[in-house]
Amino acid sequence: MIIQLALFAYLSRYHPDGQGGRTARPIDVADGATVGDLIARLGLPDGPRVVLVNGRHAGDGQELSDGDRLAIFPPIAGG
Amino acid sequence: MRNLLRVNMTDLSVAAESVPEVWAKYGGRALTDAIVYLEVPADTDPLGPDNKLVFAPGTLGGTSAPNGGRLSVGAKSPLTGGIKESNSGGVAALALARVGLSALVVEGVPAEDNARYLLVIESDRSARLERVDDWAGLGNYEVADKIAALRPEGDKYATISIGPAGEAFAKASGIAISDPKGYPNRFAGRGGLGAVMGSKGLKGIVVSYAGTKSLAHADKEAFAAASKRFSAALKGHAVSGNALPMYGTNVLTNILSEAGGLPTRNFSSGTFESADAIGGETQRDTIMARGGDVGHGCFAGCVIQCSRYWVDKEGHYKTKGPEYETAWSFGADCGIGDLDEIAELDRACGDLGLDTIELGATMGVYMDSGAIAFGDAAGALAALEAGLEPGNELRVLWDGAEATGKKFGVSRIPVTKHQALPAYDPRSVQGIGVTYATTPMGADHTAGYTITANILNVGGSIDPLKTEGQAELSKNLQIATAMLDSLGLCIFVAFPVLDIPEAFTAIHEMVEAHTGEKCDPDALMQLGREVLTMERLYNARAGFTAADDRLPAFFYEDKLPPLNVVFEVTDEDLDSVFDFVDETAAQMGLK
Repeated sequence: MIIQLALFAYLSRYHPDGQGGRTARPIDVADGATVGDLIARLGLPDGPRVVLVNGRHAGDGQELSDGDRLAIFPPIAGG
Repeated sequence: MRNLLRVNMTDLSVAAESVPEVWAKYGGRALTDAIVYLEVPADTDPLGPDNKLVFAPGTLGGTSAPNGGRLSVGAKSPLTGGIKESNSGGVAALALARVGLSALVVEGVPAEDNARYLLVIESDRSARLERVDDWAGLGNYEVADKIAALRPEGDKYATISIGPAGEAFAKASGIAISDPKGYPNRFAGRGGLGAVMGSKGLKGIVVSYAGTKSLAHADKEAFAAASKRFSAALKGHAVSGNALPMYGTNVLTNILSEAGGLPTRNFSSGTFESADAIGGETQRDTIMARGGDVGHGCFAGCVIQCSRYWVDKEGHYKTKGPEYETAWSFGADCGIGDLDEIAELDRACGDLGLDTIELGATMGVYMDSGAIAFGDAAGALAALEAGLEPGNELRVLWDGAEATGKKFGVSRIPVTKHQALPAYDPRSVQGIGVTYATTPMGADHTAGYTITANILNVGGSIDPLKTEGQAELSKNLQIATAMLDSLGLCIFVAFPVLDIPEAFTAIHEMVEAHTGEKCDPDALMQLGREVLTMERLYNARAGFTAADDRLPAFFYEDKLPPLNVVFEVTDEDLDSVFDFVDETAAQMGLK
């Protein structure tokens, strides 16, 4: 199935299409794949992250559905 | 023994006093609150002779405590009508603390309407008022230049000034504080304190700290040890040690837009299609490509160093940041998707001396009236500057979002206690809605920054779309923030402190080692509760009721796209936030 993947801040270099950048791009994932499966596949560095699926916070165990928009952020904050 | 300076603008007297022993534990916000609480009648005209403008470094100000150099500015607010503490970076807190001042209290109004004064405080704590009538109408940057010309070569000093907006008593005017390079680009922005300073005829203050030293401690070794541990925690945490110095506060734009919480086009949507164009990553890339500076502190002793300077296409300094709040207010909230345009508006506000949060939100309201289009940056700049022309109707923009919305017939006016909401929509971030509704400061995100747990997974995770846990989260953060504001600590220390227990321990150890007075976690939390108690009691006397602890109706009724949510925290939960006030007031002997 196809999901839209956007990686932010210093995670953008981990996008599998090698283009960097932060716009959401389509990638193919296996049916039943979870957020955690995809993170492992991307090889993201260990550590805290914020993951949003369709704008809502999601844990590693969340299963992805066709057409989902997945956004991943490293630890960030501001004011 | 701690010292404070009283300056009377009516008889032009300057007098030194001791800080009363009963306020021994109070610095920063606690001290500005205590003075306003005791000395400014809650029903007074904020622009009249009985309001007082109080500047106070925190308890750790002037020491080598990492990140202890914030400044509190307090008064009765002309915008909210309640007690206000406006907090700023820049070098003034360090300067005041190092010359030995725990507070500067400005009282009275000048005998002559057109009088303008500069208060000069030398490093030996002597002080005088100088007449500067010909500085009337100058922007903050020119005031900084004028002050520089007056100071001896090699002097070290801080400037505090207002622009024409403060002189015009604009309700959204702020007070500019100089940064380490002397730019007047840090702000005590919220609540119209620029107008209070303007009503007192005070155009500027210069505090020289040349030849002064970092303040001594009761226990030098204990302080050094705690300070080292604190610094290590700040640098070791991914947020304060990495993301903030790299991207600055504006790193938040993309995540808030993604989470459907970035108020766009006057709070009509929670996501902005051009978010990335105005976000922290693009900002960093652009500044670096133009040869600008990313990653410096806004005061000496900051180890987080999240500040940066925006430069124009030729590489010349334009303004600081812009910060997330400004990139939002003049960006997404106005439908403007260009950082150069936002920086232009930021610089204009900085020079005029206006709060960018209030003015950006105001501009969004003004655009919503149809007077100019969303996205019209040139029109926004012209509207902003129109207030300089006497009698121009757009002068109302300088009085903020509520005044502007009422004048132009806009129904969606995003304010609480008359102050404009900052860069997080409460419908999709319910916790910040609790803070906005309940903080005595009026809609203020820093007062209880629930974005930590609601969005960023810092200090735990509380679903921003549900009502559970939000009141408790906001309450605890409001208490902790009031404490940090009183110590002079930058609230960004909260990110590591919420995740690393040793960082919190280091705080009370530094306070104890510096003051020689016992300080433990309970004492710190009690300090926070006392601060909020003074504020709640003052506001009650000023006429505030539970009805003022609510959000505007449209947040409860209009579903915010794209998540299509409304604010749902109950009135009962909102009213539970200050359940500690009665008990704390009794402990303090207040009623």
